[in-house]
Amino acid sequence: MRLTTVEGMQSEIFVPVTPKPVFTELKKPLSECKVAFITAGGIHKKDQKPFNTSGDFSYRTIPFDTPSDQLMVTHGGFDNSDINKDVNAMFPIDRLHELVKEGFIGSLPEETYTFMGGGGNVEKFMNETGPEIARKLKAQGVDIVLCTGGCGTCHRSATIVTRCCEQEGMSCVVIAALPPIARQQGAPRITAPHVPIGSNAGEPNNIPQQTAIIKESLEWVRDCPSFNQTKVLPYEYRHNV
Amino acid sequence: MSITKETLEKHLKDPAIFCCRREKGLVISAADLEDPGLFEDMQDAGLLTLSPDGLRIEQVIGATLLKDVEALTPITRDVIDRVNEVGEEKAHEIKAKEEKEVKEVKNVVESGGDGMIHIEIGKAEKFEGLKLCVPVFSQGNAPAAPEAKSDEKLGEKTVIRQLLKKHIKIKDVKLGKETKIKDGVITIDKSIVERAVKEDGLCKSLELEVIHPSNRHIYTETIMDICPIATKVEGELGQGVTKVADGVVFMLTGVDEDGVQVHEFGSSEGYLDEKMFFGHPGCADENDIIIRCHAVIQRLSGMTRPGPFAAHKCQDYIIQAVREQLKDYDGEVVREEVCEDVRRVGNPRVVLVKEIMGQGAMHDNIICPLEPCGVLGGQKNVDCGNVPIILTPNQVRDGSIHALTCIGPATKEMTRHYIREPLVEGLAADSELDLIGVVFIGSPQVNDEKLWVSERLGSMLETLDLDGVIITTEGFGNNHIDFIQHIGQAGKRNIPVVGVSFCAYQGQLVVGNEYATAMVEENMDKGGFENDIAGCSCVTTEVAARAIQMLKNRMAGVEVKPAQKKWNNDVINANNRLLGLPETKLVESGTLH
Repeated sequence: MRLTTVEGMQSEIFVPVTPKPVFTELKKPLSECKVAFITAGGIHKKDQKPFNTSGDFSYRTIPFDTPSDQLMVTHGGFDNSDINKDVNAMFPIDRLHELVKEGFIGSLPEETYTFMGGGGNVEKFMNETGPEIARKLKAQGVDIVLCTGGCGTCHRSATIVTRCCEQEGMSCVVIAALPPIARQQGAPRITAPHVPIGSNAGEPNNIPQQTAIIKESLEWVRDCPSFNQTKVLPYEYRHNV
Repeated sequence: MSITKETLEKHLKDPAIFCCRREKGLVISAADLEDPGLFEDMQDAGLLTLSPDGLRIEQVIGATLLKDVEALTPITRDVIDRVNEVGEEKAHEIKAKEEKEVKEVKNVVESGGDGMIHIEIGKAEKFEGLKLCVPVFSQGNAPAAPEAKSDEKLGEKTVIRQLLKKHIKIKDVKLGKETKIKDGVITIDKSIVERAVKEDGLCKSLELEVIHPSNRHIYTETIMDICPIATKVEGELGQGVTKVADGVVFMLTGVDEDGVQVHEFGSSEGYLDEKMFFGHPGCADENDIIIRCHAVIQRLSGMTRPGPFAAHKCQDYIIQAVREQLKDYDGEVVREEVCEDVRRVGNPRVVLVKEIMGQGAMHDNIICPLEPCGVLGGQKNVDCGNVPIILTPNQVRDGSIHALTCIGPATKEMTRHYIREPLVEGLAADSELDLIGVVFIGSPQVNDEKLWVSERLGSMLETLDLDGVIITTEGFGNNHIDFIQHIGQAGKRNIPVVGVSFCAYQGQLVVGNEYATAMVEENMDKGGFENDIAGCSCVTTEVAARAIQMLKNRMAGVEVKPAQKKWNNDVINANNRLLGLPETKLVESGTLH
């Protein structure tokens, strides 16, 4: 074997390490908690400015009394057809109202915040968007924050913002279609249903599945023993693209 | 994370830090220590604070712990029973010895008197101490004394098949009343769009326009693909004769009925001269005439799988009409390109793995169509389950891949890329290597499926008995999960592996593993973003040259230094200088999402 070699070459791409742990223990029963839901999946109201799909660190304010048919998706990182069918597949706003009615959770805040995390600028999300969303949720007395990503870099942005919320004193979980990213990026807690990106919160129009994913994610916020632990959820949905 | 003995030996002079909580009475070994390569990141993340009282690794190995110590705590004199006395020289000695061993690559091939050829390889990364006895084949009574194989014969080229690509000069393109090629001029029947659009109900209209190189400052909707006009005149894909129109390409653009850009995610609408990296493998060249085929597809179908496919399929109907004319056209041949599938037995066996998009929407690829770069007759890799499919280098160079992936077009490989892929060209031409094949593997949408296809790739790499692998991906984000997984599949089988990707700032890896240590960056954007210039940050000749050299280093056991903790174009240019390559000049696109 004769190979020409060159001394002194250097690898050009670095591999990330999981950042510092952040963990806020939940100290109330779920039924007394105010629960917010944020998403990096590009959901916004139809009358709001769509996200810039090639990368956007701005966010939209969504009042929780917005009817789900007034919401839509602007995201280029995955097949949108599931969300077009049912926005609850990414942002399960209807399910959350049902859980309040049922008494499973205490209440919802007046408003929440959504963003499009695809291709997200890490430093902007870490230093500006994330802390701002966290402050606004905390100011409304939120105890628990649930979060979905969308595509790969969405999961990164979602995790960054979720970490800001945890840091601000709320207990958070990332419902991840791509759990390796949430784990590596340092999500405080992770649940992992077997779903494709684009239907991170469950199959469109499958109410029992969406409800189960949210309930078990909430229970994981309560039961997760320490930072960065994943619970695999036994719900599978395959999207035949 | 604990470290291996090999890592320990490299880091004897570095601080000794416990990787996990350790209890009183423990005798300290490599398994208890954190990898010093991670300290910088850990300090950045606030996980670790080094202490001036902390001991070095060489000072603590074998010592007994006197009290319980928490994870990521520097080991100090007060917590262990003894401190090893070590001089400054010891570490250097070990290092010097290692280097000497690695460089001693000695191959001895001889034939003995017992009818066997004895091969003994002194030391090389994968063949250390290997002895082979191969029977000498002989028909007669006396064992024929075979000629001793010389080093020159190892790696001798055997041609499996040839492909001749004839590049036919095209001087101009016009729209007219019939489709024909005469005297170097392609004329396309203007009314063909009416028939083409009927090929797929999701395509609502098509429009053709000829753009000359002097007139590129014109507005264009997002670029979905650049497709050469190539056609088989003899044989199947990968062999026989192919004609390629020289100096002209098709460019597919598209919006939906509401005017929304297809591929709306880093779409490249704008002035054409500013929105394509002319000359890059996937793009039009400086002097190419561009036939723009603009498609309008059904409302809201842009972000679903059938919509973009419809546009590609209808355009292919038009290209096919031109292909039919090209088959019979005996014009000026500007270049004859002979491509060979070869075996070079005795050289390191390598494959190129290309991770391609496989997630639906426009993230799909058509594999092995009937015509080069065509659509008809091919299989979609999403429908194939994204499993690894191996092609010969010639098949790739004959247009076996039609790409539908041009979302975030700066970092995606368009159809033209594959017919002239620099890594395929570079590896196939390299007389020191034996390029076994090119593996295409889709990147599925679901995490479990990503891991599943990656496992299949792992088995394939193992059974191919490889000495080295280069793995590329396009885009960034979720595909990096598969990409890193694939690198791991090779790495854990001790196959030297090099990864090639756009990462830079925006696309920095979202996951990683210990095998991703020889990596090549594709970025050419100043800010490190996926900008909106089609074909900007992809595999170029320079990227390919660095990747191939890194792989050779890895296979020969020559160090590739660890990456810096942040993207830095100077590192890339330092590598370029070492290899005598031109500087990687970054494009100021103003992108700052």
